[in-house]
Amino acid sequence: MSNSSEMNSKLNFRDFSLLLALVAICGFFGWMAPEFLGPRNLSNLMVELSLNATLAMGMLLIILPGHIDLSVGSGLALLGGIASVLTTKLGYPAPFGLSVGLIAGVLIWYAKSWLIVHERIPAFIVTLAGLLVYRGLFWLVINNETVPVVSGGQTNLYSLLSSYYLSPLTGYVLATLVTLALVASFWLSRKQTPDSETSFLKFFVGAQATFLFVIIANQHRGIPLPALIFGIVCLATYVLTQHTSMGRHLYAIGGNAEAALVSGIPVQRVVMTAFALMGGIVAITGFLLASYTGNSTTDLGEWMELDAVAACVIGGVSLRGGRGTVMGVLFGALIMACLINGMTLLSVSPEHKLIARGLILLAAVWMDMRANRS
Amino acid sequence: MKTMLLSAHSITKKFPGVAALREVSFDLQEGEIHALCGENGAGKSTLIKLLSGIHPHGSYEGRFEVNGSEAHFGSIADAGRAGIGVIYQELALVEEMTVAENIFLGREPVRWGGLIDWPKIFRDAAALLDRFQVTLDPAARVSSLGVGQKQLVEIVKALAKDSKILILDEPTAALAEHEVLVLLDILRDLRKRGITCIYISHKLEEVFAIADRITVLRDGSTVVTKKAAETSRSEVIKHMVGREISDLFPRRATEPGEIVFEVNDLSVIDPTTRIERLHNISFKLRAGEVLGLGGLMGAGRTELLMHLFGAWGTRHSGSIRIGERKTLACSPAERIQEGLVLASEDRRRYGLVLDHEIGFNLSLSSLNQFTHAGLINRKSEASSNRHFFDSLRIKATGLEATAGKLSGGNQQKIVLGKALMTKPRVVLLDEPTRGIDVGAKIEIYEIINRLTAEGKAVILVSSELPELIGMSDRILMLHEGRIGGEFTRAEANQEKLMAAAMGQQHVELV
Repeated sequence: MSNSSEMNSKLNFRDFSLLLALVAICGFFGWMAPEFLGPRNLSNLMVELSLNATLAMGMLLIILPGHIDLSVGSGLALLGGIASVLTTKLGYPAPFGLSVGLIAGVLIWYAKSWLIVHERIPAFIVTLAGLLVYRGLFWLVINNETVPVVSGGQTNLYSLLSSYYLSPLTGYVLATLVTLALVASFWLSRKQTPDSETSFLKFFVGAQATFLFVIIANQHRGIPLPALIFGIVCLATYVLTQHTSMGRHLYAIGGNAEAALVSGIPVQRVVMTAFALMGGIVAITGFLLASYTGNSTTDLGEWMELDAVAACVIGGVSLRGGRGTVMGVLFGALIMACLINGMTLLSVSPEHKLIARGLILLAAVWMDMRANRS
Repeated sequence: MKTMLLSAHSITKKFPGVAALREVSFDLQEGEIHALCGENGAGKSTLIKLLSGIHPHGSYEGRFEVNGSEAHFGSIADAGRAGIGVIYQELALVEEMTVAENIFLGREPVRWGGLIDWPKIFRDAAALLDRFQVTLDPAARVSSLGVGQKQLVEIVKALAKDSKILILDEPTAALAEHEVLVLLDILRDLRKRGITCIYISHKLEEVFAIADRITVLRDGSTVVTKKAAETSRSEVIKHMVGREISDLFPRRATEPGEIVFEVNDLSVIDPTTRIERLHNISFKLRAGEVLGLGGLMGAGRTELLMHLFGAWGTRHSGSIRIGERKTLACSPAERIQEGLVLASEDRRRYGLVLDHEIGFNLSLSSLNQFTHAGLINRKSEASSNRHFFDSLRIKATGLEATAGKLSGGNQQKIVLGKALMTKPRVVLLDEPTRGIDVGAKIEIYEIINRLTAEGKAVILVSSELPELIGMSDRILMLHEGRIGGEFTRAEANQEKLMAAAMGQQHVELV
């Protein structure tokens, strides 16, 4: 099968160049600021990556069918803020506050998608409006104050979201389980596709990466809880996009919405479900970010929608829809997280950081457009 | 003898795989209205595209002469300079601009070093409208006009460029009857002013009401040019269809079973224009039967199929019955569950996700068959894909090949495979053989035979009358959204079908 191996080598080329870029970025920052590769910073990096990448997974579900969501940065602040206010100011138990935030996220995003799907208002405009409205609502909710996620000196589920670390032993047990799952999926895929060399390589690298990750995490305090939550979101997104009919439908809608409709795909329902899932992911990201920062402050989550879009585009997700993978988004988010974290370590001023983020986004979209033209 | 304003000599235009025009010759006398007639795909549009510079000089063989000297139309602008103005079926007006702005679009008069001379635009537009006796306000927004009035704006726009030759491609397709009369009057008036006109229409009443001469095209060749006064409608029809029916059509009729599909008094409104597009359509379809559905471009065949499939139009009246149950479903997803499926005419637009692999496309409508506990079983999906890939004899390197890179025939087979994988009882095929080579066509016919042998019912839409006659057990001809005639395979012939498609009740055969 010459065609399939050609396609694989193309995919590998893209993955490979992303990997090279990542190594180069890490090398550069490691050389400029040796503490970049220190256990403490790597542990921070894992948490920062988890925040960005969780959101980027949601963005993948929105961009695949050809839409976009610019409201997630404000939205996650709002949903986190609702949970903060309920927990700290009104004294409800943290699980209740978090549940309300999560349900609100799903409902708000589902309602918003109705405007996009049924009323045919472009997602760009609906979510741009959301970006402003949610930020304003957020300020109303927190009454322009800084609301901590937990009253001083205590811990609750909300604060533990970012401050809990899995014990080293739990980490190794998890890594072993992941490796076993990889072995199982390798065996299954070997039966179905004859191209076992690449899948073996993927399994091998995957298992190695998992153990490397756990070893690094254990050098500091163990796997941070956000990383585990991100891992679950990432796995769920992978299964959704690659192994369910809804995932297939997302690709088909982005590839050719008219053909998708005539093929009997409930286009509107699928897109609305994707937005509802996005609402849940925004809530989770909001909780993690507020927990990591320790409180809900007015500028929380600003510009995060753009980092999520950048992670997708860098990872090879087409803004026109129909193309993109979880693996690519993961790499894209890694690159973004390393760049931002590295710049912070080098004490790059916020002005310059903002300019750099903008230029990265522009360059990534530019590359996407060039790739589409050829 | 009058002077020849324009003549075409032995024009041959080839597209990859097919010759759209073969040795076409044609001439236009100054001041005449010359009608071009022919079936869908006879080559009328291609000829117009050569004349208007859309297919530039050099992409075809043969030569055009304007006023006796050879003309090269390298671009649309070249053709415009030679005095040729074309009015397409799809109007090219900017809806949000005024009549005057549209008339001068792209060549606005300027003054004071680049500022648009607005008073002059409106003055000149008013003068032009007046000269051609079109009563329209130059300051009216085009979006506020009716279709007929828009058509007149297009005509004035073309004439404002000093066009000597006006080409009208199906100008009355979207017009109401009284608007048609106005248009014909204006064309007669233009003839008096020495404007020459090529008039393309399916409507023979109009053609005979206005044309001085008629040229019939068939399969890319000129069949005949005659003075309108010296020929008749039935003769023109006969020339249009006079094609041999070969034994290319291996229809093996099966004994029809019970009624599986029934349409009752269906009237459907076009959702964008809000005009009723299909009127009082009723028919029945039996298991194992092929019902042919014919009609000219714009007769509503595709619209009918898309509506039956739940993908187009607002129902005004009538009902659809699939099997024993009256269906209330209104989306393709639900129709597929009820056992109805459509393979669309426009493969690239409605049929395929071109960037994705063959396998992705084949199973797209049938994923629920392979889904257990929410997950797709890739193994059973792949084996089903493999089965259809093999049995439809799709020629490609494998299921992983990208659908967009295949030939038309193979793409059509994927669209068919995707439809058939849903295990339908009724299959709607819209132009399944358009644009594919003869070998692939016969394979498609064999697939149709296999479907009816399995007891499935098929509705086959085709523009090619021989195909319709050759492959159908029964034929319905649509005419302007109505059923213009129903024929059994035995009683159908091309003249009768064409007459029904053109809304002619009786045709004396010559």
